[in-house]
Formats: sequence, C-alpha cells, structure tokens
Amino acid sequence: MAREKKKVNFSSKLVFTALAMICVGLIVVSYLFPDVLSPVRNAVGNFFAPMQKGITVIGEGISDKLKLFSDKKELIEQNEKLTDELNNLKVEIQRLGQEKSELSFYRELYEYDSVYQNSQKVAARVISRDPNGLCTTFTVDKGADDGITPDMNVVAGGGLVGIVTETGKNWAKIRTIISDDSAISGRFQITSDNCIVRGNTKRMEDGFIDVEMISLNAEVYDNYEVVTSYISDKYLPGILIGYVTNVRKDPSELNKRAYLAPVVDFEHLEAVLIIKAVRENLEGLEE
Amino acid sequence: MILKTFVIIIEILVSFLFQTTIFSHLKLADVVPDILMITTASLGYIVGKKTGALTGFACGLLLDCTYGTLIGLYALMYTAIGYVCGFANRIYSEEDYTLPLFLIGGSEFAFSFIYYVLFYLLKGDLDFGHFSMRFLFPRVIYTVMVSIIIYRLLNLNTRLFDRIDLGAKKRKGGTTHEYKGLDIFSRQPKQF
Repeated sequence: MAREKKKVNFSSKLVFTALAMICVGLIVVSYLFPDVLSPVRNAVGNFFAPMQKGITVIGEGISDKLKLFSDKKELIEQNEKLTDELNNLKVEIQRLGQEKSELSFYRELYEYDSVYQNSQKVAARVISRDPNGLCTTFTVDKGADDGITPDMNVVAGGGLVGIVTETGKNWAKIRTIISDDSAISGRFQITSDNCIVRGNTKRMEDGFIDVEMISLNAEVYDNYEVVTSYISDKYLPGILIGYVTNVRKDPSELNKRAYLAPVVDFEHLEAVLIIKAVRENLEGLEE
Repeated sequence: MILKTFVIIIEILVSFLFQTTIFSHLKLADVVPDILMITTASLGYIVGKKTGALTGFACGLLLDCTYGTLIGLYALMYTAIGYVCGFANRIYSEEDYTLPLFLIGGSEFAFSFIYYVLFYLLKGDLDFGHFSMRFLFPRVIYTVMVSIIIYRLLNLNTRLFDRIDLGAKKRKGGTTHEYKGLDIFSRQPKQF
C-alpha cells in the first residue's frame, strides 16, 4: 500500500517535470523562431473560430436581453435628452450641409486624396477578446479567405481601431491602438505637427492613451484632432485617432506630451471595418 | 478511464470557449473571471496531481496559441498551478465546497502576481498598488464568485462519471472493491 502510494507520487512528479520541460522548450523555440509555430496557431485559430462565432452570437443575444431589464427611468431621461439633442442636431445638419458643399470645393482645390475613403472595406464581427479583459487584442470573423492580410488598418465609428497582426483562414487578430505595444506616428490635423501616439492600458481605464514627442514649438491645445500621419509606414494617412487633452511639457524639457481620448469605444466594440489597402513600402521612393 | 479523459477534454474546451466569448460580455469592474484557472485548480483538487498538471498544460497551451505572445508561458504557469493544487487531493472531500474556493482564489492570486512580474515589472512598471486594486483583487474575487457555481458542476460531473466507470468495472469483475452504498463516492482513488 505504502509502496504503491510512493510510485504514484513519483510518476506524477515525472509528468509535471516533463510538461514543464516541454513548456520551457516551447518558450525558447517561439522566442528564437517566432514563425516556426505559427502553423500551429493558425490551426488552433481555424478550429475555434466557428465555435467562438456561434457562442458570441448567443452571448450577445443574452446580454441584449439583460439590458432590457436595465433602469426604465434611465431610459426615459435619456429619451428626453436625446430628443433635445436631435432638435439641435437638425439645425446643425442644415448648417453643415452648407459647409460640406464648401468643403468639397476646397478638397478639389487641394486635390485631397483620402486613400481610405476610396479603398474597399470589409465589415467584420468581433468574435473573441483578450482573456484579460483589457481590450488590447481581439479576433474577428474575417480572414485570409476574405482577402485580409497582416498590416491592414482597422477602423470603427470613424476612428482608428488598430492593425491586423495575424490572419488565419477565417479569422484575423487585431492589435488595438490602446495596447502597450502599439506606437503610431500621428499628426495634428490643424497644425500639421507630428507626434507619436502610444498605447497605455493603464491610463485607458480613465479613457486616455499617451501622445509623445510633440515639438516644443507646436501650438497645440486641448481637443485638437490627431490623425495618422503621412510618414507612418503601416498606417494609411489621415485616419482620425482621437482628441488630445492635458498638453504639457515632457519632464525632459525637450518636447511636449499629452493625453489622447480615442474616438473609438473599445469597451463595446462589436463590429469593425478592415480597410483592404496596405501602405506600400516607402523604400522604393528613396531611389 | 477513456470516458473520463474524454469528459475532461470536453470540460477544458467548453471552459476555453466560454472564457473567450461569453464571459468577456459579463465583465464586472473591468475584469473577466478566469474560467480556465477554475477548471485547472478544481480538476487538480478533485482528481489529482497528474490530471491537474495535464489540464493546466492543455488550458495554458490553448491560451498561448490564441492570445499569448510566447507559446508555452501560460502553459508553464497553469501546469504548475494544476500540479500544486493536486497536492490538496489528499484531503479531498466531495462535500467540502470551501477549501476549493480558497485553492482557486490562491491560484488566481499567484497567477496574477506572476503575470504582473512578467508583463509589468520587467517592463519597469513598479506601481503594484494600482495593478492590485484595478486588476488583481477584482479578478481574484470575481473568479472565486464564479467558481462557486463552476466548481459544483465540475465536481458533480466527475463524480457522475466515476460512478459510470466504477459500474463498468464491476460488471467486468475487474475490481475487488466492495459496493458500500453511497460510501464509494467519498473516493480515495488509491484504494482502487
């Protein structure tokens, strides 16, 4: 009896050691050769994507049902507020209509070539999210079959969401701009000053990410628009990222920094648009 | 045995799918409960060290393949946690619903702490207070709350399939174990 017990302990120890060694091996392999294991990732993604899609649809249905029970009073108040807003907006629309015709005139004048407005877009549904709940990466239900390739830009609600980092047969992984790994070359729409928009999951809890490397001479103030810049090699130029607040000097005194409120609501993102155009490599221009 | 393995595989797949889909809609205080951790720690506690480690390995590998940056990192953490929870199998009792909650809470705490060290501390982020208030403690508490339900389901499931396995063994006459009414369910696996 006692001997048997010992034997069982030994073999479980052996199993644990073997598994731990496999893990360490995998870490080393995937660190040194990141591409070797990507077929495995693809296969796993392909296997789970249809199931995740199905469950997400059900889950969204359930959460929609739950929302029905949310406070009625709140809805009534909201309704009043929205009616007011609607009236104001109607007036606004008339005014904007006039301004729009003016704008199209100026656009022609400047030969404004908005790449992303003319190129084809694919709508995709978010089927799974980063398990940590930080919205730094998520998966959508369109993949290589729909012509999605890595480095395609992703937008939603008029603003930049992020970039496609990996694709499988019927799924694509998207890294959002609020991810700590994300750094985008941006530009102030009004003053044409360049800056770097850097993701910051911690600050995102208050609704902001960072803007860095703004020139000391740049005259930028709160609520200025930041769009993707022409010098970025992955992002198409002119996509709205968000609005800056809290512009201040960097501790280094060499440049300014600010907070940026993204226009996209990452918490409640359910569908996104993937722009089917990849920024061409700029190397060719140097010749 | 094969049936049980199959059931455990299904349990792992279902937890993974729920973790990445439904529960990301059921956020509280910006955190998602860690269903895979509940499965790993519970199976370690209910079945044993070996199963705990293997379950942890499978769960971790699934996470690595879909969301990890390095394949094997989550797998290593989950394997270790499953294995350690397996030590508590010695004092397993089917009626005890308190100890597993502490186990799961402890596991989640350990996991989140290691996560902080690997993904924040090594990047030079020393603000552990902020991390623990915004991420670690909410996550531990939410996971423990959800585990109250999920642990019961896992426990019931395992006992049910134990009974089916045992019935098959008895029919074949492959066991000398005597049927003592409900007593067999307070299992001591090593006696079989």
